[in-house]
Amino acid sequence: MNEPIAGQDVEVGAPAGWAAPELARLYDLHSRAIFYLALRFLGDVPRAEDATHDVFLKAFRRLDQFRGDASVRTWLYRIAINHCNDLCQSWHNRHIHTTSEDAVWENSPAKSDSPLRVLETKELGQRIQQTLDALPDEYRLLLLLVADEELSYDEIAALVGQSTDAVRGKLHRARKAFATHFEKTN
Amino acid sequence: MKQHTKLNQKQDIVAEQQTESKAAREFSNSDELLRFDAAQTSVPPEITQRLQKSTAQISPPASRSWWKNLFRR
Repeated sequence: MNEPIAGQDVEVGAPAGWAAPELARLYDLHSRAIFYLALRFLGDVPRAEDATHDVFLKAFRRLDQFRGDASVRTWLYRIAINHCNDLCQSWHNRHIHTTSEDAVWENSPAKSDSPLRVLETKELGQRIQQTLDALPDEYRLLLLLVADEELSYDEIAALVGQSTDAVRGKLHRARKAFATHFEKTN
Repeated sequence: MKQHTKLNQKQDIVAEQQTESKAAREFSNSDELLRFDAAQTSVPPEITQRLQKSTAQISPPASRSWWKNLFRR
């Protein structure tokens, strides 16, 4: 069997089950990030599975529209965020948070940089989901995006349509709110 | 005998505390916690199978230039 030569554009057949190797690669590189965003944003495994499928299907169909102005990950996140927002609106399951609830978080003694201690990793997912479910959509989305180390603050700002400074400020409050609520789930 | 029981109880408590501290995991902030959570989350294989079926009809384009755009970053 011949070894690929460095720098040469080698045509590779699609892995089993895939129509094209590029589709397989796209999915392989980004499916975990997109599924995780959908899972924690929607808070439901079957819905997250459907959303992930639909997001990649949309992406595959629109691949020729990808201009390369942003990273592929950012482009996929944009499709995923729009899709999840549409789902939330159509299900009428948006969480409504009053300003008084926000005020409770903002004035709480918990600090965003205080350690979050967990004893049982098996229950960790449930506690994280409970915490995220209790936060406003905007905070939840920002926390999930910033947890992806591949995204810069500028990219997150572009994704949510806000300035980088605004994102930094909101993230500070979102982390604080997360820490406060996470302690309550213990 | 009573002293022996008390000693056992103390040993049990210490052992329990040690187990607890072994299982305990500390995250410095929510970013770290969510990154750990994401790393623990695997994509259900059912999605892959569904997607392979759904994309079977999508034919690869004649030009590959946009594929190169796709993976340049």
